[in-house]
Amino acid sequence: MKDNKITGDRTKNKELDSWGRLLHRTIDRIRQSLELSVILSATVAEVRAFLNTDRVKIYQFDEDGSGEVVAESVNLDKLPSLLGQHFPAEDIPESMRELYLQERQRTIVNIASRQIGMSSSAKKETDIEFRPVDPCHAEYLIAMGTQSSLVVPILDNHHLWGLLVSHHSLPRIVTKQELEIVQLVADQTSIAIAQSNLLESTRTQAQQEASINRVGKSLHSMTEIELQQALQQTVTALQGSGGRVYIIPQNADSTAQLYVSGEQPVSIPETADRTTIPIEEHPDWQTWLENTAQTHRVIQPWAIANEINSLPPNLELAFKPSQIKSILTIQLVYRQKTLGYLSIFRQGIDVETIWAKRPDRDDPRNLFPRRSFETWRELQQNKARPWTDSEIELAQTLGSHFAIAIDRYQLYQQVHNLNLSLERRVQERTAQLQETNQKLVKEISDRLKTRASLERLSHQNELILNSAGEGIYGLDMTGKTTFVNPAAAEILGYEINELQSQPMHEIVNHSTAEGVVYSWQDNPIYQTLQTGEVNYISHEIFWRKDRSSFPVEYVSTPIKEKAGIVGAVVIFKDITERQIIDRMKDEFISVVSHELRTPLTSIRSSITLLSSDRVDPQSSKSQRLLEIALDNSNRLVRLINDILDLERIKSGKVTMVKASYNASNIMTDTVEIVHSMADKAQTDITVKPLSLQIWVDRDRIIQTLTNLLSNAIKFSPPNTTVSLEAHLQGDEVVFQVKDRGRGIPPEHLETIFDRFQQVDASDSRDRGGTGLGLAICRSIVQQHGGQIWVESTLGQGSTFYFTLPVSG
Amino acid sequence: MNMNKKILIIDDDDDIREATQICLELVGDWNISTASSGKEGLVEAIAQQPDLILLDVMMPDMDGLETFTELQANSVTRPIPVILLTAKAQPAELRQFTQLEVSDIITKPYDPFDLSDRIAKVLG
Repeated sequence: MKDNKITGDRTKNKELDSWGRLLHRTIDRIRQSLELSVILSATVAEVRAFLNTDRVKIYQFDEDGSGEVVAESVNLDKLPSLLGQHFPAEDIPESMRELYLQERQRTIVNIASRQIGMSSSAKKETDIEFRPVDPCHAEYLIAMGTQSSLVVPILDNHHLWGLLVSHHSLPRIVTKQELEIVQLVADQTSIAIAQSNLLESTRTQAQQEASINRVGKSLHSMTEIELQQALQQTVTALQGSGGRVYIIPQNADSTAQLYVSGEQPVSIPETADRTTIPIEEHPDWQTWLENTAQTHRVIQPWAIANEINSLPPNLELAFKPSQIKSILTIQLVYRQKTLGYLSIFRQGIDVETIWAKRPDRDDPRNLFPRRSFETWRELQQNKARPWTDSEIELAQTLGSHFAIAIDRYQLYQQVHNLNLSLERRVQERTAQLQETNQKLVKEISDRLKTRASLERLSHQNELILNSAGEGIYGLDMTGKTTFVNPAAAEILGYEINELQSQPMHEIVNHSTAEGVVYSWQDNPIYQTLQTGEVNYISHEIFWRKDRSSFPVEYVSTPIKEKAGIVGAVVIFKDITERQIIDRMKDEFISVVSHELRTPLTSIRSSITLLSSDRVDPQSSKSQRLLEIALDNSNRLVRLINDILDLERIKSGKVTMVKASYNASNIMTDTVEIVHSMADKAQTDITVKPLSLQIWVDRDRIIQTLTNLLSNAIKFSPPNTTVSLEAHLQGDEVVFQVKDRGRGIPPEHLETIFDRFQQVDASDSRDRGGTGLGLAICRSIVQQHGGQIWVESTLGQGSTFYFTLPVSG
Repeated sequence: MNMNKKILIIDDDDDIREATQICLELVGDWNISTASSGKEGLVEAIAQQPDLILLDVMMPDMDGLETFTELQANSVTRPIPVILLTAKAQPAELRQFTQLEVSDIITKPYDPFDLSDRIAKVLG
């Protein structure tokens, strides 16, 4: 068809100017927004204003070839609105769609002329080729109320996105220039769509990245609660109604873990025993994945079921009770190992489609052009919403995060379990160590206590050894000393170190008391070492360093250990003093025996004879024997009394009953007692009383003075004077008894106060004494804290003194 | 029977000397003389040359043992049998006396008849 209308140059220039402004304004409006709806609205408005037609619309193809009016500018007075209406794919056949895409074919239909003008943009053709329009096409447009149409394809990245369509209710000629302008607008619209798509893609990508970040943030925190949170975020990001993560047990000791969020399928009965298992453990699950999963060159294989009824029967049963209509499952793989499954579920949605007519593909009338475009509303309820590539890609990315997180989580669990095990072992070991430590502490404490006890015992033993009065030394099996206590060294006249490791036999007991040397083998201590016998030796001598000896008694005791005798301990005592005391005792007993036997001899002889018939009881001899017996009986009584008295005073059994007395009274009272004795002996007594209070046992002091005065009278020749005086000397009273007797030899001045130590033994008989008087005096004075002594000159007399403390 | 036998008693105790003398004179019918000390006894022994001496052990100045030694040292008195009279009766003391060549040892207080028997035994 040729352009049959040529405008004048003037008009032409004016139009071109107008087109230029229109084009500029249109493009400007298109570029003002990146929002597709705004762009499309602006496009249809500007194009209709430019073409001044009744309707300009933008028709967008769906994937199935059908399409929808997505933007429209319409003069409703002339034509009805088609906005939002869907047109079936058959309305624009695929062949035509191919022309639109491949040739970028533009069409101009003029119903009045029954012609259709076609111009390929791809071939840079500027001419419009007219030819008769298909009658069906013409009928279709007429039915739509259109007398004139202009169609320009809109492409998006080599894809027929849609059509820019102008309809006019009246016949109208579209010029080539108008076509080019509309083409330019369509091209700009394509660019805007691409930009908008890019924006949308960018937005989607940003949203997905945000979702990935959120999920990743939750996942990489490595705790169970946040794995749950990541699942919820994933469900939200993928606009699901529910989802779940199933983690395959990694070994026989672990169990599967299942995290769920939102709507879920029911568990599947596994066997007849009514136990149920998660869907992921059912054999059908694996079958489904093997059959449908996309595995080629993808990290996380995925499978979708856009309709539940496409699932294997057992799985379908699990989902049927729920509202879930579609499934997206990501097989979680990390390092070539399947860790589990991430599944997202979606419920069905209601899809409402407004068709330009009711499609009925079986109606033969469809072979004919439509006569009505009355709208028909199609409502598809609970329809599965298909998963988009973008969503699948997002799900895969999130799946990767899940896989990494689960792997890390499992590693973390392993480490955690190892740590727990380690901690448990550490705790057990620590407990063992603490127990061992406590035992050690107790053992150390016990050892310290034992050591302290040993040290204490050792110290005590040392103290005992050092404090012992007896000499103690230890010997080894050879007879050499292993220890010596200080007393032993002192007794023997050595330093301790001089005796250490020395053979004691050669040093201290090599000879008998008689000086006879005997061998070590004859030593009783040697016998102890050899036989283990304890030997008590009481008549032995030890030798000092200065070669003097002393009598000892000792006991040698073996030192025994488990292995047997390892040495001996010798404890010895210097018994010199004891022997002296024993001798004194023997002497005393001897003297007492003698003193008792002597009067008894006279008594026994006399009485024995008197009781016989050998003597006439009336004879003078008989009388004399009686007198002798009586005198000696009295003597015996005095003797026994004095012995007992002396022993009681000396042993402290007689308590001095002290009180305050005037010394002068005691002195005069005593003189009264011995006065008759003095008269009988023709001796004078003079007394110079001292009036002074003294603290004494009156009777005992009178006994003392009586003893001294009677002795003085006994040993004074007739017609001499015995004097008693006292004077104060310091804090003591000194009594003195003076006679003019025969005096006492100097060698007896000390011993005369001992028992039975008269100057002359016959004195006891001649003078009626017992030999104990002065001993008794000394005991009484000593019990009063005083002293007694005698001064004497042979042939001139003696003076006995004794002192008494004034204060007592 | 013992009329001619002379016995010398040497004892420092007057009562013992007197009681013993009376007893022996009544029981044994011996001729008794006495001395009150060792020195006096030596003199009497030499002067009288008795047939037996009763010698007290414990006496002042010169005790019985010294006196016995002196008696033994004198050829006149050495043959005279001596009976020791002692009030010392400790075993050790008695052991010491048995070392001496005395005819008998009699501990005080003695029975006068026992003394008489033992004197008679010594005198034979």
